[in-house]
Amino acid sequence: MNPFALLQADSVAEASAAAKDVRLSVLKAGGMDLLDLMKEGIAEPTQLVNLRTVRDPALRTIEAGRIGALATLADIARSDAVRASAPVIAKCAASAATPQVRNVATAGGNLLQRPRCWYFRNEQFNCLKKGGSTCYAVDGENRYHAVFGPGPCHIVHPSNLAVALLACDGVVSLAGGERATLPIAKLFHMPDRGIRDESNLEPGEVITSIAYSPAPVSGFFVVKERQSFDWPLTMAAVALKLDGRRIASARVCAGAVAPVPWSLPLVEKALQGVALDDEAALRAACAKSIDGAEPMRDNAYKLKLLPVAIRRAIADAAGAKEGQ
Amino acid sequence: MTPQDAHPISSRGSGAEQIPTRMPTANRPQNAGKTVNGDTSRLESVAKVTGAAKYGRDMQAPGMVWVRGIRCPWGNARLIGHDADAAKAVPGVVDVVVTGDTGEYNGDAVGYLLAENKLALSRGLRALRARWERLPCRTGIDAREAVLSVSDKAENALLFADHVLEAEYSTPVQTHSALETHGMMIDHQGDAAVVYASTQGTFAVADEIASFLSLPRNKFEVRCEHVGGGFGAKFQIGKEGAFAGNVASSLKRPVYSFCDRKEEHLDTGNRPSALVKVRVGFSKDGTVLGGQIGVWGGVGVATRGGDAAIPSGRYEFGVIERSMTNVSFNGGAPRAMRAPGHPQGAFAEELMLDEIATIAGVDPLELRIRLDKDETKARQAMYRLGAEMIGWKDRQPTGSQSGVVRRGFGVGSTSWRALRGPCDIEIAVHRDGSAELRTGTQDIGTGQRTACAVLAAERLSIPLELVSVAIGSSRLPNGPASGGSVTSPSSAPAVLAAAADAERQLMEIVAQQIGGAGTDYRLRNGKIVRGEEAVMGWNELCRRLPSESLVGRGTWDGRGSPYFQKGNSNGVQFVEVEVDSETGVVQVKRVIAFQACGRIICRKTAESQIIGGVIQGISYALFEDKLLDRQTGAMVNPNLEWYRILGANDMPTIEPVLWMDAEQTGVRGLGEPPVVPTAGAVAAAVFNAVGTPVRSLPIRPDRVLAAVEAAAVAGVAKGGAS
Repeated sequence: MNPFALLQADSVAEASAAAKDVRLSVLKAGGMDLLDLMKEGIAEPTQLVNLRTVRDPALRTIEAGRIGALATLADIARSDAVRASAPVIAKCAASAATPQVRNVATAGGNLLQRPRCWYFRNEQFNCLKKGGSTCYAVDGENRYHAVFGPGPCHIVHPSNLAVALLACDGVVSLAGGERATLPIAKLFHMPDRGIRDESNLEPGEVITSIAYSPAPVSGFFVVKERQSFDWPLTMAAVALKLDGRRIASARVCAGAVAPVPWSLPLVEKALQGVALDDEAALRAACAKSIDGAEPMRDNAYKLKLLPVAIRRAIADAAGAKEGQ
Repeated sequence: MTPQDAHPISSRGSGAEQIPTRMPTANRPQNAGKTVNGDTSRLESVAKVTGAAKYGRDMQAPGMVWVRGIRCPWGNARLIGHDADAAKAVPGVVDVVVTGDTGEYNGDAVGYLLAENKLALSRGLRALRARWERLPCRTGIDAREAVLSVSDKAENALLFADHVLEAEYSTPVQTHSALETHGMMIDHQGDAAVVYASTQGTFAVADEIASFLSLPRNKFEVRCEHVGGGFGAKFQIGKEGAFAGNVASSLKRPVYSFCDRKEEHLDTGNRPSALVKVRVGFSKDGTVLGGQIGVWGGVGVATRGGDAAIPSGRYEFGVIERSMTNVSFNGGAPRAMRAPGHPQGAFAEELMLDEIATIAGVDPLELRIRLDKDETKARQAMYRLGAEMIGWKDRQPTGSQSGVVRRGFGVGSTSWRALRGPCDIEIAVHRDGSAELRTGTQDIGTGQRTACAVLAAERLSIPLELVSVAIGSSRLPNGPASGGSVTSPSSAPAVLAAAADAERQLMEIVAQQIGGAGTDYRLRNGKIVRGEEAVMGWNELCRRLPSESLVGRGTWDGRGSPYFQKGNSNGVQFVEVEVDSETGVVQVKRVIAFQACGRIICRKTAESQIIGGVIQGISYALFEDKLLDRQTGAMVNPNLEWYRILGANDMPTIEPVLWMDAEQTGVRGLGEPPVVPTAGAVAAAVFNAVGTPVRSLPIRPDRVLAAVEAAAVAGVAKGGAS
């Protein structure tokens, strides 16, 4: 780890300006991911701009429909407002990492964390993301990599929270740049649209909060290899609008299957009008989730997991409805 | 998951009251009735949870220089260039030593760098800009090259078989993953040194480091007061120790050389991978007639040490012919790991037995009861009692379940030959009534310190609070390295001899004071008694010591003590799992672990050993896998993020059952036997739930899903045929 300057920002404007002006400047919220990156020599910032010293309470406020960017995952998980307005968001926050991490990791930092691909994270692999010319996953160990997307890099997006927010039509509020807002659906790009980073933020743009549409009938399901402190093999988040026991409309999104939080419009369409207890129709709709997938040598099992995860997320959402 | 959902580790099985815990009095050694000390926690537990306990890794000294290896990043590579001058130009870098240019595995060291601080160390390594040319590499055993050739004798055994099972079982490389990494801090002060080592062999380190330090043995001390696990990988000083020794002796300065987690995975030993191919014949009722078993052991750059213990010898298998081949590849060399060779052999053997039982249509537990050769009959009793405890009668026939969540039961066995070595112990009794037990051996987290104190207090008949233990120093009396489960059984006879010697000397003092002979008196319940009459209190006696302390000495040469129990420690483990047939996720719900272990010194630490063995066994069954990139030979998961160890949410209810055979009155070690059967029993349970065996560890969701699919296809085929 190299020496760096630490700027304890007093305001978002100060943080934004510092991030823009100084080369290799990095914004730091909880710092959970950044510490890993710096220890492995993947990130070598010359300046860290600490957002946590900004006192503005709006950055930490959680209310129904809006989450401050500095709210921790633990705050989100136990927020009654979030649990009532969009249970899927609270549940995703609660399922991440460990209690220790959730107490420190923030909503904004969680969205912008870097991928966990083991070629990206191991210093000696000069992969595409680090300016190299090879994606080592293609001919290497790819059991945890993406089953969607044309490449050339095959990471999966690491944030479960982003998938939940996508299902709830989340929109991030921005400061320090030209744009005031950006939908979650446009926050990230595929590797063929820029390989060195994952987000569409400009230097100096800071997420201040995340708004979402109420989704009281929402749920998720995650498949993990290990049930403690593990990344998902596949996960799904759904937000339903019900007409009695029938699905009037659905938002269906998946995680750990693509380089970005993955929307599944074919499934959403197929779910329209399906009764919650029509097992065959639900299965048929969820089966459409793997249309267009191109698995690699060792990750085709994700195509078995994805429809299951969606079906169980729907059941979770329906259960949340019944719990009310 | 709420705390209410968490699975407790139960310290007593539901059937505990049925277990024989009373030993016959006829051959019971002195004090045996009291040495089952159930309530004693580790003496150092508070120090450990508060952080007051200092491990070798915690040690620092003024003027300390830091060392780190220059390591090969690929499976096979040549160092074609580096910039030593640039590295030396980094402020704080002291020196760069490059001794070779070939790396035969990821983590192989070709030299080292030393620096005044940790930051300079990492910056120096970066500035060195080591350039490696990658060469073709081999990352494991190639199953296609492993051809099982069946001998004539084995073929003859197969002639009379009703069925023949041909199968391949494979296990991955497992790393020891001790919490405290390998290494040492040598506090070198010019003409003397203290070596703070993380080791399971205090005296082995002293022997090995002596040649580096060029100091006579009376000028340096190896210390390891607390050690964060070893599991067999910490007998030798390793490269990290050699670097430290070299630097300390040449600079005459304190040196810190500990591996980071990555180096720990790469270059401090492992349990070798194994491929077991079987071709065995059996009759209609499952009786095994014999066959051929081939073992291929993946030993990295080593050339030996890859054997897997199959057949284990616990079951009657008829005429078995066997071959064994060590397969070298571009990976770190193995070291001993908790029951070397046995968990990988037991995995293949137990799953094979369940496959045979299923084909023959017999209950796999009944088959084991029939085939088990246990001469003491302890396992026979464990099989029957365990079946009741786990609810074996609820077990569904293998392959009969079709629900989403399927339940499976498995069973496996273990036996471990009791070993021991020579040991010396001193017990100093002080004028204030306190006693200090001194042993140079080490407590690697097993409770050795506590066991020694309990035994000494029992034998001296004084409260445990009066006894402290000085442990883990080469200046203390000689004791065994912790391997082969020898530490307790080697120490116990010496502790009891030292206590007896202290008592003899004390009673002579009593005799001098109040008349009679020393042999007229003995210690009982904190008093000195003659017959039934108390003549003096312990504290009063101690106050009358002629000098500040009196030292009792015990020496055991490893032969003929009633406090050491020869023979085999038998065990049986029952496992219940739940398999989600749609996600492939396996949750182990319950493990009942029977373990015979001779006389128990301290129930809590004994049970802890069994629980720990089971945890490591499940972790091996479901998660652990040192994964080398097939292209480059680099380990892709050299961390504890992707190298998964069983976590809190994955923990089943574990019920250790300490089994005391009637004739067992001496002490045995418990480190290894409980880790042997677990993975095999888990695999058998998953097979029972799913209907198709998963023959490779770890039992990952993708493998389980493939097995579920294969079972469904087989079910359809079977249905179609009938």
